[in-house]
Amino acid sequence: MQRSNGEHMGRVITITSGKGGVGKTTTTANLGTALALQGGRVVVVDADIGLRNLDVVMGLENRIVYDLVDVVEGRARLRQALIKDKRLPELCLLPAAQTRDKDAVTREQMIDLTGQLRREFDFVLIDSPAGIENGFRNAIAGADEVIIVTTPEVSAVRDADRIIGLVEAAEKGPPNLVVNRIKPRLVNRGEMLSVEDVLELLAITLIGIVPDDESIVTSTNRGEAAVYDHQSQAGRAFLDVARRLRGEEVPFPVLQEQQGVLERFFGIFGRRRS
Amino acid sequence: MGFFENLFGGRRDPSASVAKQRLMMVLVDDRYKLTPETLEQMKVEIAGVLSRYLPAVDAEQIEVKILRGEVNDYLKADIPLKRGQPDVG
Ligand SMILES: Nc1ncnc2c1ncn2[C@@H]1O[C@H](COP(=O)(O)OP(=O)(O)OP(=O)(O)O)[C@@H](O)[C@H]1O
Ligand SMILES: [Mg+2]
Repeated sequence: MQRSNGEHMGRVITITSGKGGVGKTTTTANLGTALALQGGRVVVVDADIGLRNLDVVMGLENRIVYDLVDVVEGRARLRQALIKDKRLPELCLLPAAQTRDKDAVTREQMIDLTGQLRREFDFVLIDSPAGIENGFRNAIAGADEVIIVTTPEVSAVRDADRIIGLVEAAEKGPPNLVVNRIKPRLVNRGEMLSVEDVLELLAITLIGIVPDDESIVTSTNRGEAAVYDHQSQAGRAFLDVARRLRGEEVPFPVLQEQQGVLERFFGIFGRRRS
Repeated sequence: MGFFENLFGGRRDPSASVAKQRLMMVLVDDRYKLTPETLEQMKVEIAGVLSRYLPAVDAEQIEVKILRGEVNDYLKADIPLKRGQPDVG
């Protein structure tokens, strides 16, 4: 995107949730990697000050020298603090400080920071901390758009609704929803809220359906995004989210129940190539 | 629920639909601070107003729901009218 004065204007997108542990960091890492794989210049920002996490999920923990708080407090320049991804030259991470608390940054500093980043990148993804306090408010301060992650559980959906109200009040435009950790087998048995149920309750636009998937565990163990794993249903789901975010119309595939090893083995031969 | 139904675990609503019903109520309460008690109170008052124009409204029969829409939420009330008792005055 281009400003009228010719300045580059990337999109600042915050990933948030209300309830903790529903998959914000997982979504940020995979979505960031997916967008970079699809040719975008991407920076992922860990705004969970004091609970640094995005670096390990992306496998970049050994490269950290400076962090976000060093930048806003002037000990390091932005370029010094940005960490390049191992594989994708157009993907960068700005890590959170591990030893400071959430109040180490202000909203104004976050707005300023995202304003600088959007000049260099097409997508600035911000991984928000859980909750509705300062950390969350800082994380959405500079955002143009918000993605809300929820799981199909009562408490997560309730907290998502709270967050939707706050995002609307902050005039960030209508948020997009990722429903994470869907278990198709439970949904089919009527023992888990379906995506339709969640949508009916929250009434916002759906941008992703991500199954509960063991490949998230293994990819997180290795510090590699699941979008690299072609066998990973969750990885494919995140690639689809990236395409939708870029304006493509991508149908939502029907999720398969998680297959056993044998079925997956035979599935390789049965699948048509695309 | 009868003994046999209990025994065989039949007739219980699937937990997802229970979750959905509960969430509907919780979200309404969160957004509008409308507790089940105030909801009951509202029904009584709605019945009071309507009774001035219609003879056969029963507060207990009124079902009120708040539905989420894209732009607005909607208050939806189902108000059954007792049939077959024309005023023979
Ligand atoms: N689709 C999924 N399938 C399986 N496991 C998942 C999935 N999504 C997330 N997880 C797991 O759930 C846990 C929490 O995920 P994550 O750290 O991304 O959540 P979060 O919202 O960032 O948490 P926090 O609020 O603590 O920052 C992690 O162990 C992650 O691997
Ligand atoms: Mg996190």
